[in-house]
Amino acid sequence: MTQYEILARPAASVVKMTLQPGESMTCESGAMIAMSSEITVETSARKRGAGGLKRALKRLVAGENFFLNHFVAGAPNQTLIIGPGLLGDIVHHPLTGGTLVVQGSSWMASSTDIDIDATWQGLGKAIFSGEGVFWVKCSGTGDLFLNSFGAIYTVDVDGEYVVDTGHIVAFEDTLQFRIAKAGKSLLGSLLGGEGLVCRFHGRGRLYCQSHNPPNFGKLLGPKLKTR
Amino acid sequence: METEIRNKPSFAIVHVDMEPGDRIIAEADAMASMSANVALRCRWNGGFLRAIAKRIFCNETLFVNQYHCAGEGELVLTQPFPGDIECIELKGNSLYLQPGAFLACEPGVRLGLGWAGFASWLGREGLFRLKVSGTGRIWFGAYGGIFAREIDHEYVVDTGHLVAYEPSVSLRVGMAGGIFSSFFSGEGLVSRMRGPGRVYLQSRSMESLVAWTNAHLH
Repeated sequence: MTQYEILARPAASVVKMTLQPGESMTCESGAMIAMSSEITVETSARKRGAGGLKRALKRLVAGENFFLNHFVAGAPNQTLIIGPGLLGDIVHHPLTGGTLVVQGSSWMASSTDIDIDATWQGLGKAIFSGEGVFWVKCSGTGDLFLNSFGAIYTVDVDGEYVVDTGHIVAFEDTLQFRIAKAGKSLLGSLLGGEGLVCRFHGRGRLYCQSHNPPNFGKLLGPKLKTR
Repeated sequence: METEIRNKPSFAIVHVDMEPGDRIIAEADAMASMSANVALRCRWNGGFLRAIAKRIFCNETLFVNQYHCAGEGELVLTQPFPGDIECIELKGNSLYLQPGAFLACEPGVRLGLGWAGFASWLGREGLFRLKVSGTGRIWFGAYGGIFAREIDHEYVVDTGHLVAYEPSVSLRVGMAGGIFSSFFSGEGLVSRMRGPGRVYLQSRSMESLVAWTNAHLH
């Protein structure tokens, strides 16, 4: 696993990584803030070495940027500092052969060996899962860095847990889930503002964000100038 | 019922550990996540007419959700904007909250609508304010960090930065300086609060964010 440190949580988070020769990190476009001189950057429309154009197009549809940057260290102890565009938190998830399903805009960086698949439609069929939210399936072994708007909190589910769909950052695919109404009555759920929620059950890790970007947007949006 | 405000002051949330018999009331859409055994019931915010009034005048949600738990469970409550949350325990006393500040309360608290006066309206602090009274804890939040000030005589607060104040504090709107400086200083109108009492302020204002964003939109 790569040596890393997450600084300035939870609002202005950045990840400071130390890469050794041969270690490679794939990051979303625009994430790099600063890096040592012996790191080389390859930008490609596809996963380094494999993946193909089709996969890249699927990533585009998923809301992730078309281009991925692969950072490779050419010398020992190279530092790479990455961060997201907006205020928010970052969390590290170590993947050890399992799979993590990540909300489209929350994927920030992962070890280049991790497979990124943006074709997962598990929750996508539910239009209720949020305005234009897409999901990215990450599997393999390595480090995964996720970002959010809001603070990220971890819930190790063992049984059942309920999350408002706009607050899901990522979850292990060992968890079963279903979209359900928040309360006992559908009308009550809708009027109570909660609407539809995601009920997870089983055992696995779930990452949630404290704030919901569309809700903030709804407050701010009407006050902005129309273009 | 154990509660904790986490991630202060930028992304504050209220983390509630519930047991059978515990009840908490929160504005609509405040729930971020909860244990599966926490149930919620939707209620009009104080009754049909009062709810409408609160929606129109106080920017509060039409409905509130009352949460209870069959066993032991947790509930995470949040607000739409990033910022701080404060918790106050009411013991028969009251507090005035600015529109949009209310987040959650215990069942013994009453949410009423109070007339804030034209002075408040001129200062763009709203024509009405939410009056919380009764017994129990209330949680309120704001965009930005929240800090409290005990004021004795007169205290000047910039418009858009007032979150809550005790009823013993009176509000008067005035200009920051003379006409010229009020206009060009960017401060404009301010609220002149007269104590004694406690005033809660927020370190950022939505109006400033909107103005900044609008300036960058072209």
